[in-house]
This record gives sequence, C-alpha cells and structure tokens, in this order.
Amino acid sequence: MQNESGAQKLYSGPLVAASLSLLLAFLTLMVSHHISRLTKELDKMVHAYGHWIPGSTGSGPDGSIGSYSGKETLALGVWLASWLIFHFLWRKQDLSVRAWTRFFVTGLVLITLGFFHPLSDPIVLFIAGLFGIH
Amino acid sequence: MQAGDYLHDHFGKTVIRIQVAIAFILLLLLPAANFFYPTDYSLKAGIHGVSAILAIVVGTYLTHRAIPLIKGMQVRLESLRHWVLAATLLNLAGAVSGNWIYMRYRGQDGPRDWILARVPNFHNVLMEFKEFVSLFPFPLMLAAAFMLYYYGMPMQYRRDIGRFVGVTILISWSFLLLGFAAGLVLAKLRFV
Repeated sequence: MQNESGAQKLYSGPLVAASLSLLLAFLTLMVSHHISRLTKELDKMVHAYGHWIPGSTGSGPDGSIGSYSGKETLALGVWLASWLIFHFLWRKQDLSVRAWTRFFVTGLVLITLGFFHPLSDPIVLFIAGLFGIH
Repeated sequence: MQAGDYLHDHFGKTVIRIQVAIAFILLLLLPAANFFYPTDYSLKAGIHGVSAILAIVVGTYLTHRAIPLIKGMQVRLESLRHWVLAATLLNLAGAVSGNWIYMRYRGQDGPRDWILARVPNFHNVLMEFKEFVSLFPFPLMLAAAFMLYYYGMPMQYRRDIGRFVGVTILISWSFLLLGFAAGLVLAKLRFV
C-alpha cells in the first residue's frame, strides 16, 4: 500500500511510539494506584510526586486530590519520556501497524479492567503478598 | 420501484440541522444549569459539566468522521485534524476541570463522605474506575491529532495508518462516554 510514486516514504514507527507511550502511561497510573492503596507509607510516597500540582494537599470542605496527583505526575512523566525516546528510536522504522493495532486495543482493555477493583484487588493482594505486604 | 440511495433534499437537510441545533442547546443547558445551583462549588461544577458535554458532542461527531478513515476512504484531512485538535483541547479542559471538582468531591462532608456512609460501592468501585478512565480520552485524542499532523496528506496512501488513527478516535470516545456516564451517575447521586 506504499505510495511508490510518492516523494516521501511514511514510517509507522512514530505512530507506534505515540501509542505505546500511552499504554505505558496508563499502566503507570494503574500500578501506582494499586501501590498507593496498600499501606499509608506507600500512599505518602506516591503522593509526594504530586505536591507540585495546586490542590494536591489540604483538607477541609474544599478538599484536595491527594495521592491522585502523584499518580498523574508519574503517568505524565512516563508518557512524555517514553514517547520522546521511542519516537527518536523508531522515526525511520516501519513496524507492522496491523499487529500493533491488536496489541494496543488488547492492552487498553486489560488496563481498563485493572481499574475495576472487584476484578483487580484479589490479584493485587496476591502480588503484594509475595512482597510481604499485607 | 428501485430502492436507490436516499439523498437528503434541501428540506430534509434543514430539518436535520434544526434538530441538531435544538438538541445541542438543550443538552448544553443540562450542565450549564450547574452554574446556578445553590452550592459554593457551582462554578467548578458548571465548568466541568460544560466541558464534558462539549467533549462528548465533538467526540461523537468525530466517530462519524473516523469511519471513512477506518474504511480507507478519502477524507478531508485538513478539516478532520482541526476537529481532532478541538476535541483534544476539550478533553484536556474536561480532565483539568475534573481534577478541580474532584478536590471538593474528596473534601470534608463532600460527595465522597456522603456516598461512603450510605452506598460505599458507588465510590469504591464506580468512582475509583471513573477517575482513571476519564484521564484516557485526552492523551488518546492528542495521539490521534499528532498522527494526523505528523503524517499529513501522504497518509491517504497508507491505509493501515489511517485505520489506526480512526480506531484511536473511536477508543478515545469510548473512554469519554464511560467516564461521562459514570460522572452523571455520581453527580446525580450526590452533588458537590
């Protein structure tokens, strides 16, 4: 399907880089979320990354977003850093978009299910148990 | 009589346009009414509601633009990428204002406290799900916008790339709708 007569060749690498970085960001969001729910210390650790966001700390009626800010910060960092790295690595690479589309959609579905606590909590607690966290 | 393609005539188009305009205005009134609710957080609620509805409207329109892209048909790329860019900005506004209103949701005697005391699963399952999937539409739409601008016109010769962009738009809309419906349920259950 490549345009033989076209002046420029298109590479699918940047497309894969842009979307893979999204999967990694969403995964970071999921992992940091589950980690923050295990103990108070872990929650504080995740929260610390988000202190730069206005409204990340505080109490009272106006509230704050709490450790959600840290999860967002970590995801944002992973997203932009991995996008940049993969983009420059793959900007002249032609990867199979057909295979990648399947992987991308499946990955998104799995990550989405990971945010559904009745499904994910038993798995998270099992993994945490392996690390001796109860 | 042969059943050919039905083409909308002038009258048909006018009816459809008026119908869309009425639906759009009435739909917008739904969150715009938040500005006048008797709460200290009416501004935050109104901004989040309006940006969410606008993102839904533009996102839904874009699903129709995504279909020809997925089928490998010629599309008006210039106009498409302007719409995708607009959808990206609206989704960003929805996420930022969502963070803003989320503060009050978690505040003292806010919706979270109220829900946890009465129907905890609406927070423990629904909100815990919603707060994260609602972050997905913006970066997904940004990725689609990036691809449309990065590849530009020559994209028409790569059906696989066009299809991927179309799929990304549809996925972004799906998460938007999930977050939107969950948000409506929570706001209806206990307003800020």
